[in-house]
Amino acid sequence: MNIKPLFLTTVSSSALVIGGWMVGDLGGTIAPPGSPPGLDAHETHGSTSLLGQFRTSFSSWLWVRTDLYLHHGVEMRGLTEQELTRGKTGVGSSDNQDNALHDDDAHVAVIPSAEHDFRGIFGDLERATSSWKDMRGHDHADPISALPLFRLMTWADPQFIPGWTTASNVIARDRSNEALEKALRLLREGLTHNPNSIALHQEIGQLLAARRRDFARAIEHLEAARRLAVERRELDEDDLDALRDVYRWLGMLYRDTGREEARKAVLAEGVQVFPDDAVIARLLNPPKPVAISREEFEAKARPADTTDDHDHDHDHGHDHDHDHDHDHDHNHDHDHGHTHGDQHHDH
Amino acid sequence: MTHAIECRDLVVRYRQKNGQFVEAVKGLTFSVEPGEVVGFLGPNGAGKSSTLKALMGFVEPLAGECSVFGLAAGSVEAKQRVGYLPEVALYYPFLTPFETLSLYGELQGLRGPTLKKEVSSLLDLIGLGHVMHKQNRTFSKGMLQRVGIAQSLLGSPDLLILDEVTSGLDPVGRKELRNLLKERQTAGATLFFSSHELAEVEMLCNRMLLIHKGQLIEERRIDALMEELRQYTLTYSGNASMVGLTDHLEAIRPGVVRAAFENKERLLEAVARVQAGSGTILDLVAREGSLEDYFVDTIARAA
Amino acid sequence: MKFGVWKALARGVVLESVRRKDLWVVAILGFLIMAGAGMLGFFGLKGLETFAKDLAASVLGMFSTVMAVLVGSRVMPEEIKNRTLYPLLARPITRFDLLFGKFIGATWVTWIAFLLLAGLTSLALAMFQVPFEAVMGQYLIAKMLGLSVIVAVSMTLSVFMTASAAATMSFVLAFGSSMIIRALVMAYESSSPAFQVVFKFLNAILPQYGLFDLGSRAANGWGPVQAWVLGALAAYALVYSSAMLSIGWLKFRKQAI
Repeated sequence: MNIKPLFLTTVSSSALVIGGWMVGDLGGTIAPPGSPPGLDAHETHGSTSLLGQFRTSFSSWLWVRTDLYLHHGVEMRGLTEQELTRGKTGVGSSDNQDNALHDDDAHVAVIPSAEHDFRGIFGDLERATSSWKDMRGHDHADPISALPLFRLMTWADPQFIPGWTTASNVIARDRSNEALEKALRLLREGLTHNPNSIALHQEIGQLLAARRRDFARAIEHLEAARRLAVERRELDEDDLDALRDVYRWLGMLYRDTGREEARKAVLAEGVQVFPDDAVIARLLNPPKPVAISREEFEAKARPADTTDDHDHDHDHGHDHDHDHDHDHDHNHDHDHGHTHGDQHHDH
Repeated sequence: MTHAIECRDLVVRYRQKNGQFVEAVKGLTFSVEPGEVVGFLGPNGAGKSSTLKALMGFVEPLAGECSVFGLAAGSVEAKQRVGYLPEVALYYPFLTPFETLSLYGELQGLRGPTLKKEVSSLLDLIGLGHVMHKQNRTFSKGMLQRVGIAQSLLGSPDLLILDEVTSGLDPVGRKELRNLLKERQTAGATLFFSSHELAEVEMLCNRMLLIHKGQLIEERRIDALMEELRQYTLTYSGNASMVGLTDHLEAIRPGVVRAAFENKERLLEAVARVQAGSGTILDLVAREGSLEDYFVDTIARAA
Repeated sequence: MKFGVWKALARGVVLESVRRKDLWVVAILGFLIMAGAGMLGFFGLKGLETFAKDLAASVLGMFSTVMAVLVGSRVMPEEIKNRTLYPLLARPITRFDLLFGKFIGATWVTWIAFLLLAGLTSLALAMFQVPFEAVMGQYLIAKMLGLSVIVAVSMTLSVFMTASAAATMSFVLAFGSSMIIRALVMAYESSSPAFQVVFKFLNAILPQYGLFDLGSRAANGWGPVQAWVLGALAAYALVYSSAMLSIGWLKFRKQAI
């Protein structure tokens, strides 16, 4: 009797069973996290041509590499569903993720520390040969160093919106007028390539309002973004994030320019689109004013060493990095998982 | 005395692609003495190459054993004394004959000037001296066969095992090869080769082994066999009955008879009887026998 | 020790490979690298040093791995297919000598290709004033050790299967083993004890190619590794390659050809 077929059948069946079992066991643990941030901005447009696909892929790859460089080459990964369920937390960062392209509170280093690594000498060797360090409370490389990469991304694929928005945010962190103009120029260049981008209109509007105090032009862009969102049937996650900010900013700008009807209309619409957004809801129905003067309040609220933005005349004069105005601390409430442009949204 | 080659009850078995086994050699026993030139004959698939591969250690015998000069076949020590020409080999297409032979020479243990000298002289001897620095891929089949022959002669081996030695050679090449091999034999080398060219076997060999379906069916000394195969024709004037026993008798014209004999003794007896019976011998012809016919007949009988 | 035999066999492999113009691939790839460097130059390399080094390490790593797999998985099956094995094995050498000599030859070919490409890449980087650092030298050494392991694995696989099957399998191992090991590391803590044993076993037998890649350190400005690291890598390469070749030899020594 030829036992080979029988043997092979037995072995392959066993392999399948064991393999299936292992996959089941591993599945929950190694389920890949969602797409890296910023990569789904325009997955569809590149499919029109092979070159387009290549350009999109190249830009997406550059985005991921940039994130890696900002972490000094230490590879990070998102926590899996199973890990989150088990209560595992991310490593976090010492610079409040100002310089990160992802949420460090939900990320850990791919290569674990020795106490969490069963591989013994192999683990030690990998930690020694790769870019590795204990990433708990880690810092990031200066994102200014990544500017050429963002430029490369937008050159390779001008439709790669996160490239434009993130680069402009990085530039705008320099609080000089030159930097502001440079950031706006970059966003406008992006807009020429992507006239229907909600995020670009929103970013320009936000910069114009917060930094240049050009409320009229800011409202133009924010309204353009709002119009585009209404016209578009389906919005992706990035569009929705941008649109959320559009409603917030429009609400504040209409309020501060005294256009009450417009404020109510836009915020009412915002509440419909984002019924769970407490900031929009609060802007629509603001709490009663406290019975102290503004000067008194500011004197109490502001830390003694705060130097920036003391002279802001308006509540909407909040800045990307240093604004602690009570009207805008709502921004701490949202967007931990926000993808691009977190640098100023979160502050 | 130690045999140059000795195989006892050799069994070689291969596994086919369908998983079944086939016995290429079934209990083969033979020996070759030092200095002998032995032809190894058999139809396609008889087991010749398998036997030669077993002698070189390329296949592991299922049973039985082979030795070369008393050393285990395929061992490093045995291979030190053997030169081997494979049935088909391409040789490295991007190397030159000089580089090819230098590589094999180094593996043989030759080094430095000795190696260079031997390689050059062998290539000259085999007629490739003028193209020794051209790449093998530019060569014809016959020229590649010459490269193969040259490599088998490296290190002046005591035993040459040659598989289909004349394959791809033109008549001039065959003659040159024959002379070369005879020189080696004269120098004391033992030759054991398989060939389909029976004329070569006849011209070169002392002895032949004939195998069929993996078994030895005939072992003969060539001179005795040729003598046995030789035919004689006697033409004489006289009557048919005067020659006595004959293999074939034919009346050419009235009073003239042609008688054929396959045996020299019977011919001499017939000649004596013709002369005694007042007949006249008109013609006497000795015709060499056909090794090919013998080969075919023997295989047919064994089948 | 038969250094002469191994050297002769290895030289044959290198000579054939060079004449067959296998290394032309290096020239083509080198040209592409230079062209790519030119493109980066178009943007100005300031701020792109890390990216340039990372790209260089990635291209080098990928190309040299492909080269090692193809050369390693082809060298023995081609000898059998072209029947060049017979005149070789007719010489007074053992099958281990043949296997080992061919392994050395295949490793040399891979190293030559790798070093040629590394030279071209260094030149391209030097054009943009990216200095050659100590960690880059360590990267080259570690990579060469890793390539020899890939060649050993590919050659051993080719003894058990056809050249194309061996190449496929070896590619899967070369590009997948690190991923598999990382998956095991992630899953280990939450797995049952039985699976933890399986994971440990897999970790021990899978080739740890990832250890030989210092590209990330070189690209991201990390300093050189300590001497013991290179020593450990060399020891691992030696042990793993020897184990692989021994397995290959156990199969090949009795194999009918």
